[in-house]
This record gives sequence, C-alpha cells and structure tokens, in this order.
Amino acid sequence: MRAANRGDSAAYHRLFTAITPVLRKVVRARGTALGREGCEDVLQDVLLAIHSKRHTWREDAPLRPWLYAIARHKVIDAFRARGRHIELSIDEFAEGLPAAAGPDPMDGRDMEKVLGQLDPRAAEIVRAFGLNGETTAETAARLDMSEGAVRVALHRALKTIARLRERMIE
Amino acid sequence: MKTEDLILALSADTLPQKSVAQQLARAMPVATLISIAAFFAFWGPRPDIWEALGSAAVLKTLLPLGFVVMAAALALALTHPGTRHDMRSAALGLFVVLVIGAFATALLNAGFAGLIAALSTPSLVTCLLSIPVLALPVLVAVFWALSSGAALRPRLTGAVAGLIAGGLAASVYSIYCDKDMILFVVPAYCAAIASISVIGALLGPRLLKW
Repeated sequence: MRAANRGDSAAYHRLFTAITPVLRKVVRARGTALGREGCEDVLQDVLLAIHSKRHTWREDAPLRPWLYAIARHKVIDAFRARGRHIELSIDEFAEGLPAAAGPDPMDGRDMEKVLGQLDPRAAEIVRAFGLNGETTAETAARLDMSEGAVRVALHRALKTIARLRERMIE
Repeated sequence: MKTEDLILALSADTLPQKSVAQQLARAMPVATLISIAAFFAFWGPRPDIWEALGSAAVLKTLLPLGFVVMAAALALALTHPGTRHDMRSAALGLFVVLVIGAFATALLNAGFAGLIAALSTPSLVTCLLSIPVLALPVLVAVFWALSSGAALRPRLTGAVAGLIAGGLAASVYSIYCDKDMILFVVPAYCAAIASISVIGALLGPRLLKW
C-alpha cells in the first residue's frame, strides 16, 4: 500500500489481488440472499471504497485495521441499501435442478450500468485498463491523448463511478 | 465488468490524492476570511478593542481558538479509520470540563440571581444569532474537507465539524462582544457553539456519506 501511494501500480495490483479473495469470502458469508452476482457487486463497492479512500490510511499505522474498517463500513452500507430490494435466492428450493449456465459469477452487473452512464470516452478508458489490460502508454497512443491526460481521465472516471454507484444503491 | 478487470483499472489509477488535513488547510483559511470580512462589514470590533485584548477578556478570543485546534485534531482522527481518537476526545472533554468549572465557580460566587442579571441583556440574542451566522462559511468548508475522509461515525464527525465552525465563529465574534463576565460569556458562547454542533450532527450522516 505504501508503494501504491507512491505511484507503484504493480504493487497496488498485488495488494488488490491479495485482499480480494478474502473480501469475497466475507461478503459471500454475509450475503447469501443477494446471490453470487449481488455479492460481486458489493465486493466491487468495497474495492472502489478502498481505492477512493486510500489517502485516509496513515502510513505509520498497520494496514489491516484500516482495511477492515473500510470493508466493514462498506459491506454494512451496501447490504442495508440493497436489503430493501433483496433478491430471493432460488438455490434454496431449486436444489437438485440441473444448473443452468448462468452468467459468470465473478461478473458484477452494477458496473455495466454505471459505465453506460459515463461519457463514452471515460468508459472506454476504464475498459481499456480493465478488460484489455492496456498500459497507460498503449491507451494514450490508441486514443491519441498524452499519458498524463489518460491518467487524469482514468482518475476522474473512477471518481465518477464511485459517486454514481453510491447514488444507485441509495 | 469483472472484478479482476476492475482491479486492473483501479491499480492503474495511482494519481496522488490530497490528504484530509491538506483539504482542511486549504478550505479553512478561505472560509475564515469570508467570516472575518462579513464580521467587519456588519459587526465591527468593539470601541475599546485594544484595551480588551490587553486584559483577561483576550481569553474570549484565544480559548475558542484552542478549542478549534483540539476539535480539528479529533475530526481528523474520526475521518481516518483505524486511528484511535480517545486521547483527542479526552483532551476536548477536559477542556470543556475546565470551562464549565470556571463557570461554576463564578456561579457559586454570584449566585443564581447574578446569572440572571448577567444574561438579561440584548447582547444574549445578538450573540446567539451572530455566532451561528459567522460559523456558516466555516461549517461549509469543514464539511467539504472532511467529506474527502472516511468517517465511520458521520453523526459524531458532523457534530465535531460544528464545534470547529462554532469555535472559530465565537473567536471572531468576541472581537465585537463587549460583555466580559464569565457568567455571560460561558453560557452564551457555549449555547451558540452547541447549536452549530447540533446542525453539524444533523447534516453529518447526509454529507459525510461515502
């Protein structure tokens, strides 16, 4: 995290990769009624919160309590908000039925809706990093922007996404 | 969008973010200047301001400032998850206890009739109205800065934001206020600051949501 705050993207990615399975387990344990996809949406909310609040971790403090506090807050928040229109899991009474080839359980639905609300260029940049795994330089070259502009655009897009999702679950 | 893809997008965004303290340091001076400008436009200093600042009455100006510093330290702890805030809460609590102690001593000396006499002045209404008005720009600035943090207890954090704004406004207002008795200053200023704190507590859950 310390390296990530200094701009080390690879270290930041390692951090997310390490914490995501743990967080997924926590979310799924709490949210059986939301279904796999719903849980993945909550998990993505938590990851976005960790990202957008990363400056509130003090570098001399241990990371775990901070991470846990952020995740806990966001999980409670998300379940409270989504609880109002909770989706009943069919797993409970459909056991034994042949499993239909459902959508990928690692796929969040909310994110697509939110990306649809962004302006196309911003959504394009977020997808470029995510889906296509492009580097800043590649995206910049393809979209004919400077690397700095791509960085700023990504930063703004992620902020907007966090805000839109916040509004969505209200 | 898959979670793995989201992680890739998030980890690519490594632009540094301003800390809450930096945001506070940026917003507070602007808001304070607005407050002071309004003060000079509509209130103005008391005629004997220089003598007052040379006497014990200067405490009316300085103590609220100390209170603001302590409340700001507490607000910063409250917006950084995993940071303990019991020492900072205790410091703020001790400060309030000392002020109330001074008030109680004065009350014992003067009796209840003395308190009534001290508060029976139109200055009381002026004070109770002026401090909240002067606090308004500061409250906006503090909320703006704190909303970039991660308040786990938004109601409490909002109340502390109100203490910051109210304390600063009380300090500014004291330049105008020509009532120096403890029996007037403590109840009037405390009531005014508390009213902003209540407003802050009401706004907190809405404005400090994340």
